[in-house]
Amino acid sequence: MRPSRAMFPVTRKPFWASLVSSVLVVILLAACGSSGGLSQSLAVAPAMHLGAAPHAKMGGTVIIDNVSGSLWTCGFNPYGPSSAMLAAGIVYEPLIYINPLNNAQQSWLATGYTWGNGNKTLTFSMRAGVKWSDGKPLTAADVAFTFNLMKKFSGLDLQAVWTVLSGVRQQGNKVVFSFKQPAVPFFYYIADQNYILPQHIWSKIKNPVAYNDSKPVGSGPFLMKSCSPQDITYVRNPNYWQKGKPYISEVRYPAFLGNQPGNLFLAQGKANWGGQYIPNVKTYYLSRDTTNRHIWYPPAGSDVLLYLNQTVYPLNIRAVRQAISYGVNRTKVSQLGVYGYLPPANQLGIIQPTWQSWYNKSVGAQYGASYNMAKARALLRSAGFKLGSNGIFQKGGKPLSLSLINNSGYTDWVAETAILRDSLRAVGIDVKLQNISGNDITAREGSGHFQLLYYSPTGGPTPYYQYRQLLYGANSAPIGQTAASNYERYHSTTVDNLLDSYAKTSNVAQQHAIINQIQAVMVRDVPVVPVLQNVNWFQFDTSQIVGWPTPQNPYAAPAPYDYPDWEVVLTNVHQK
Amino acid sequence: MAVIIRRLEFFFITLWAALTLNFILPRLMPGDPALAMMARYRGRLNPAALNALEVAFGLKTKQNIFQQYVSYLNNTIHLQFGTSVTYFPDSVIHVVFQALPWTLALAGITTVISFVLGTFIGMIVAWRRGGAVDGLLTPGFVILSAVPYFWLGLIAIYVFSVSHAFLPLGFGYDEGSTIQLSWPFVKQVLAHATLPAITIILTSIGGWILTMRNNMLGTLSEDYVRMARAKGLSSLRTMMLYAGRNAILPNLTGFALALGFVVSGLLLTEIVFSYPGVGYLFLQAVDNEDFPLMQALFLFVTVAVLLAVLLADVVNALLDPRTRSHS
Amino acid sequence: MYGNATLDDGALPITPRSSGAAWLRLPARMLSAVSSNRKAVFGLLILGVFTAMAIFAPLIAPYNPHGTDFLPSATPSRDHLLGTTSYGQDILSQVIWGARQTLIIGGLAGLAATLLSVLVGVSAAYLGGIADHILSVFVDIFLVIPALPLMIIIAAYAKGGGMWVLIGVIAITGWSFGARQIRPQALSLRNRDFLESARVRGESSAYIILFELLPNMISLTVAIFLGAALYAVLAAAGLQFIGLGNADEISWGTMLYWGENNEALMTGSPLWIMIPGACIALLGASVALINYAVDELGNPSLRVTRRKRVRRAPRT
Repeated sequence: MRPSRAMFPVTRKPFWASLVSSVLVVILLAACGSSGGLSQSLAVAPAMHLGAAPHAKMGGTVIIDNVSGSLWTCGFNPYGPSSAMLAAGIVYEPLIYINPLNNAQQSWLATGYTWGNGNKTLTFSMRAGVKWSDGKPLTAADVAFTFNLMKKFSGLDLQAVWTVLSGVRQQGNKVVFSFKQPAVPFFYYIADQNYILPQHIWSKIKNPVAYNDSKPVGSGPFLMKSCSPQDITYVRNPNYWQKGKPYISEVRYPAFLGNQPGNLFLAQGKANWGGQYIPNVKTYYLSRDTTNRHIWYPPAGSDVLLYLNQTVYPLNIRAVRQAISYGVNRTKVSQLGVYGYLPPANQLGIIQPTWQSWYNKSVGAQYGASYNMAKARALLRSAGFKLGSNGIFQKGGKPLSLSLINNSGYTDWVAETAILRDSLRAVGIDVKLQNISGNDITAREGSGHFQLLYYSPTGGPTPYYQYRQLLYGANSAPIGQTAASNYERYHSTTVDNLLDSYAKTSNVAQQHAIINQIQAVMVRDVPVVPVLQNVNWFQFDTSQIVGWPTPQNPYAAPAPYDYPDWEVVLTNVHQK
Repeated sequence: MAVIIRRLEFFFITLWAALTLNFILPRLMPGDPALAMMARYRGRLNPAALNALEVAFGLKTKQNIFQQYVSYLNNTIHLQFGTSVTYFPDSVIHVVFQALPWTLALAGITTVISFVLGTFIGMIVAWRRGGAVDGLLTPGFVILSAVPYFWLGLIAIYVFSVSHAFLPLGFGYDEGSTIQLSWPFVKQVLAHATLPAITIILTSIGGWILTMRNNMLGTLSEDYVRMARAKGLSSLRTMMLYAGRNAILPNLTGFALALGFVVSGLLLTEIVFSYPGVGYLFLQAVDNEDFPLMQALFLFVTVAVLLAVLLADVVNALLDPRTRSHS
Repeated sequence: MYGNATLDDGALPITPRSSGAAWLRLPARMLSAVSSNRKAVFGLLILGVFTAMAIFAPLIAPYNPHGTDFLPSATPSRDHLLGTTSYGQDILSQVIWGARQTLIIGGLAGLAATLLSVLVGVSAAYLGGIADHILSVFVDIFLVIPALPLMIIIAAYAKGGGMWVLIGVIAITGWSFGARQIRPQALSLRNRDFLESARVRGESSAYIILFELLPNMISLTVAIFLGAALYAVLAAAGLQFIGLGNADEISWGTMLYWGENNEALMTGSPLWIMIPGACIALLGASVALINYAVDELGNPSLRVTRRKRVRRAPRT
């Protein structure tokens, strides 16, 4: 997991960076519906032909520039919250790689999978000939061991897969996952977000949760060669199961304590792969080498949103919520708050262009422009509010004044909410900012003691994950009790049923139909107001290394902090 | 000897006070480290882990406050500070020990340089009081000591990055090298420490100069110095041996005051220069609401300062004939 | 006398005057002395400019310092003499408004710390015996414990509290140095004849402390206040710089915070960081210079210097 964005300027890693790789959607997906579904085997693309040319030049070094905000502890436990980003993917690999940018699947340690028994059984077929870096073979037994280890040590079960699983067992070269009830969206967590461990080593570890794993033995494309608190060096695994890969011989990962030194390092051309938030990136980074330096910030995962507490006046009035949505000048928040790097979001909650295929065009057209001051005011008047002489709407002598809580540690959010406040004030809605500590945010969002909350869910490779966290009734709770992720306390049986039926189906057309309906709800009920779209930070230098993901060939989430994606990038880039 | 015993007594009383402060603070303040940890790894830690964390952080409320205090002291004496939130599952003590040597070295070296240089300059400006050197240097350094440490660091980085630096702008050593005891590595460390050290020395030296100057002016008006001058002893000799030696003693004891200040400035300087010491760690602990780490760092920094003060006291007691005769 | 042997910094002015009416005469004397000192005049001048900026900020500042209405990251121009921030705010307006909070924090935290110093220092000296012993140890403990880490911890717990939290934190950690200086002077005054005679007259302790003891320590108290204010300005800037203030408030410290967050130095808006930092340094320097002059005034051996300089002048 990325360290949460610090409040401090130089340590600061923007909040959104922490989201893209965050995979902590645990309780959120816990309760999934039951009963049958389709039994089908999905086509999975073979792992080999992703980005690079078939006869790429060998050798070269990739130097990663990504602010971890901490020195390396030289632990490589892929289930350790601070070490996962150093080991997951590059050393320990997943069963199937799922590209968060297009939801495309690539076979990895598993060659394929089948759903069976009304989507209650998931069977993976394991790839033959894969070896651990100590020479021992990787088998289906290792997979079963890994998942059963998570059952035994719940601290490892970061995706809470055992909330839906009933058992995992080896069957020859296959692994069979049995579910308590159909939970198709969990496929993403099981296949892509868990990393297979060698049984012959990890079975001897007494407490794998606290295990440091300083000399990792994995199946991945690189071997950890040396580590100091300031630097890690990985070298090519000559016996990697993808023959001929990786092309590059070395990966170096310096530890950056803060954004400022990280950005300077990148700007000076000392690293060729960045995952940095760089203010004014054109002047600071791109202008220093316009031919070889590039950036690409694809939106992915989730939105940054305003949560509107549905239980308190005046936010329990639908027209007020709709007015807020029309009253937020998302473009200005984006331009001034974050240099436009995070694009404005839409009220539908569909990340564009990443999820364009999910976008409900008719709902989008019906909603119209995202910022419409006249419409916002008309909506407020329709709800009985009158514009006061001070420029603030009021009803019954009480001004329309709302307080907004926000994490004071997230500098970008503090800046964004200030612009958001100005934009709502221009409409006639008074907003008072309360920048409070992360601890307080956690307590107050959980208990529902707020009016407006600026926050972001974790999301996933399709819109479903964000919707489920935001809207599902079981993720809510009465005021005063802890809600898992539906902090605004939105309740709709229709939406709950829609989300339940999505969890039961592995049919893509049905999934689209469900998401289409939820988009209409987002626009009509306005449970939350999406403001900006989270992006994946990616700077790259092509003077020596080429083959990076591009908008034309988005073969993986391109940020170095994204795991397991970084292993996919590192097995495809090569020397110029 | 009695003086030293008294200083030891003070050392332990202060240590105890710092420990107690460390115990009281989290109990006075809102928030709870176990919850903070749960919050940070929301969903990544099983709710059942909360119990374990509370035990680890000494928040298990079955004990009354006094029992908690005793077990807290016991844990601290055994260097058990629990688990860091930031570096979970790494222990706080491991994280601290990784960073502490860097800070101690930087603080030690800069303090010594600053002290020696400042004392010497202070001696000269007092000797040449009223002269051009005194008229320019003294107010000059007084003004420098009012410059924020971290800001000077920022400007230094800016200037050096624009002018294509020959000095490294951050970190403790070059990226890619491993920590080892070899001359090339030591050279790296020195190069990396140069800029942070210069900013600290520039901003902290003023204090030394001013106190030394004032002490010196005091001793210069003493009879024995006047006598020495009257006897026609060389200026340098009088300055160094008669006036300087006696003026330096109180300056040495001013160490305590300066050290706390230097350490504070050092933390910010480390932050600006990404120096791998406790300053940055401290900030991270703040960012992540990692209170176990924060408290341990506070304790270690305090103990380090206390030890330095104790050392200065002992040296002082050994050098100063008056304290010797007192005992 | 616990701890006195070690922590005495040796430069403490002890210049008692023996009249209760000193309350009136002393400030005037100080002012005239200070105004004849070039360093002090220079310091007072800077302080005066900043104070005027703080008071008249609404009149002087060309724009609303919060307003994000302009072209972001603009270089200096006639409309924006110091350029704009990356949020499209006018830097000059922020600098002018920033003086206000910076001065308030410096002044109030300095004042609070000074009050604490005087209270503890005088109490220790006046009460004597075991109370003196305990208070002295207490002072020494606060003196030795590194302030910034302590401030960071407290401010981190009370995050988002803004200016008042900063003032409180700084006062709590910044009083001990002053108390350390007050005590020996109060002690030396305690047994002077004029206090003794007041006691004989049957005056209450409070009267004696307020009207006999304190007026005689006014130059030291002023020096302590200036030192504490300087400390407060620097400490507040440091805390705000690392994000422990309320970032929505405008002060030089928060400007540094936002500027650094947007890497203003490296992305073409260096003034966003240079100017507020230079203002802090200038303000600090002005206070330090005044303090230096007050110190010369109060310390006999330092005054010797001044006389000597005058005497030597013809020779050089």
